[in-house]
Amino acid sequence: MDILNNWAFVGIFAVMAPVFPALPIVIAWLLRPHKPNVLKSQTYECGVETVGDTWVQFRVQYYIYGLIFLVFDVEMVLLFPWAVAYNRLDLFAFAAGFLFIFLLADGLIYAWRKDVLAWK
Amino acid sequence: MGEFNVWTSLPAVAPEIGLTILAAVVLLLDAYLPKEKNRARNIAFVSAVSMAVLALTPFIWAPAPNTSELFWGGMVRHDALGQLFDVMILLAGAITVMIAVDDSGVGRRGEFHLIVIIVTLGGCILSSSADLVMIFVALETVSIPLYVLAAFRREDNKSSESGLKYFLFGSFASAILLYGFSFLYGLTGSTQLTAIAAGLNSEIVSGNLVAVLAALLMVIVGFGFKISAVPFHFWTPDVYEGAPTPVTAFVSVASKAGSFAVFMRFLIEAFGLPAVSADATSTLVVIDGQTIQTFWVNLLTVFSILSMTVGNVLALRQKNFKRLLAYSSIAQAGYTLMGLAALQAQSAIGQDIAMASITFYMFMYTFTNLVIFAGIILFVEATGRENIADFAGLQRRSPWLALAMTIGLLSLAGIPPAAGFFGKLFLFQAAVEANLVGLAMIGVLNAIVALYYYLIIIKIMYVDQGIDEDKPLAMPRSYAWVLGITSVVIIILGVIPTPIFDLAQQGAAAVRLAMGS
Amino acid sequence: MEFNFITVAFIVFSLITLGGAIGVVTCINLFRGTIWLMVSLFGVAGLMVLLSAEFLAAVQVLVYIGAIAILFTFAVMLTRSITSDKMRFTRVWVNVISAGILFVLFALGVIYPVWVANAATHFPVTDAGLATTTDLGVALVSGSQFVLPFEVAGLLLTAAMIGAIVIARDADDEGN
Repeated sequence: MDILNNWAFVGIFAVMAPVFPALPIVIAWLLRPHKPNVLKSQTYECGVETVGDTWVQFRVQYYIYGLIFLVFDVEMVLLFPWAVAYNRLDLFAFAAGFLFIFLLADGLIYAWRKDVLAWK
Repeated sequence: MGEFNVWTSLPAVAPEIGLTILAAVVLLLDAYLPKEKNRARNIAFVSAVSMAVLALTPFIWAPAPNTSELFWGGMVRHDALGQLFDVMILLAGAITVMIAVDDSGVGRRGEFHLIVIIVTLGGCILSSSADLVMIFVALETVSIPLYVLAAFRREDNKSSESGLKYFLFGSFASAILLYGFSFLYGLTGSTQLTAIAAGLNSEIVSGNLVAVLAALLMVIVGFGFKISAVPFHFWTPDVYEGAPTPVTAFVSVASKAGSFAVFMRFLIEAFGLPAVSADATSTLVVIDGQTIQTFWVNLLTVFSILSMTVGNVLALRQKNFKRLLAYSSIAQAGYTLMGLAALQAQSAIGQDIAMASITFYMFMYTFTNLVIFAGIILFVEATGRENIADFAGLQRRSPWLALAMTIGLLSLAGIPPAAGFFGKLFLFQAAVEANLVGLAMIGVLNAIVALYYYLIIIKIMYVDQGIDEDKPLAMPRSYAWVLGITSVVIIILGVIPTPIFDLAQQGAAAVRLAMGS
Repeated sequence: MEFNFITVAFIVFSLITLGGAIGVVTCINLFRGTIWLMVSLFGVAGLMVLLSAEFLAAVQVLVYIGAIAILFTFAVMLTRSITSDKMRFTRVWVNVISAGILFVLFALGVIYPVWVANAATHFPVTDAGLATTTDLGVALVSGSQFVLPFEVAGLLLTAAMIGAIVIARDADDEGN
């Protein structure tokens, strides 16, 4: 079956990818001596201890960035087939893609002008 | 359908093209206009006037008479019914922007007007959609921006709550609807509504009655949420009360009109109409000898009775004006569902009247609801109170406002010379034509119950003594225009309903002929 | 059902999808729930590959795992005192039973008849007529196919972005 040949690499890669970084850790775990003391098991060997809980509330700005990223991610997904089919498109279809880009660029202009993109 | 031609296809989406350009312009205005006091107000006037002008486009680029043709690869229909729905949604958008101008919560922000324009666009395209993909995208274009608008007043917890509730229930409904759509696509291999009807009647689907009914049921549940029919109404009162009042007004008309239009189209096109004469072909979907129509007509009849009764009975006890209108809008959805149930009529005239009465009802309901909401916004901005009892003595404080609201309330109650009278009359007539006399009777009984709470408000405004009757209410010019125009339209529709109703009937006949029934 | 490599892959991806989904609904910690969600979505991407919908699989990984799950993570981190949130939905059994009934209903009413019909006609699986990403690209912008929903979706994305910005921004940096 075709699907196997095309995706065999992905499958092999998916299996190999976790093994590759795991291997050095496993080897190190096998070879290393095990002698813990208080100083070693601290989070940082140098620097300051964290104060309070490390799970703090994020700023909302991360979310807005994530959201704008999402919108343009979806735009890219919708435009990708359009770009792939580039050779088969007539003028109208070509323009339709640009109208789509324009509509979303409009949103970007809005975000930019309203200082949403500025990190405060 | 034939070969695709851009130039012949453009008229079918003329209002949408105008609205897209308008949205881009308003966005740039909002982004680039310098900060000054009248900034949002200017944007609002540009939006409102443009939308009102765009309401002419469905007539300038009118569909060929007595046709209901598919355009843009079967995505939309271009017919008189779509034309009427376009006009009412565009005017609803224009009026919403106008009545939001002086609302302290939303009017000062340019984004509000931009989002209203996009919802209007979604509503226009929704009301003429003929393809599952188009229906869903358009429905989301109406819904998602409305969730945002409901939560627009962030400093107000009630508004945030309203937005969140609307979002949760709305997306839940969309998900169910989409699940139903996916079944239909899976069963028939097509997203085009008429092709679905053909696919359902083919042999492959036979023996699969449960799957079709499950799909239909999910679609009905999804649309039921959007039009707030009982038993899917529970989000309505909280959302109506918490959302900023102009948003409530817009939700109650634009989203409802668009949803009703597409619901009607969906049922007609995907599940067919009975044959009206010996030589006409029935497009009804029949699976295993079972007519699917019997199923949905019975279901909608039950929903119609429930919506009317529950809406009216609960409205009797309301003290908050916006909550009262929420229950009233549930009841109005019940009346309109009567028109959908009447699509089972066996005669051409019966089917036409069923479609036309829904269209006319939504048309007059748009103006009726907007005039009342305009009055509420004006009153709440001046006094900060929105209970019905606070409206006592309104006639002495602002006679014109009281008069406009009275016209609106009479229209909701269905008393001549307001338009609501003919709205209800046509719906009852449609029900009788379809042999649903019992349903029509229940409708009449409900209208009598509803009379009570509408007339009480009029009595409170005119007779009761208010606490600060000596303080007249100021009437800003934009509101005076809105109240004046909407009241006049209600009266005109109530005195001479024939032009609109005839157009709707022509459109209905065109849709019926396009189905081959 | 013959046993071959595709069947194995199907079982593996189904297990990943369902296991991830169970992780989502059973995790008390919202953050871990989102990680499980990513696992589940990855399984769905694998199933899409098996259905020869490679483009959708890529979309699944890019948009759902790459963007939406990240957004979920941010949203979870936005909530206050996330670690102390030990509230748990208590009426589990009601939901388990109703979900079970729905599942049986769909399985008997929808999947079973289709399965029987397919067994009777036994459509052979072919790659002929399989739409490619290029076909999808043409369909999205062609005037006789889906150009209208495509453009409306563009507007919807813009509106959703602006709306989200309007309600999510800090109240104090509101440049009117």
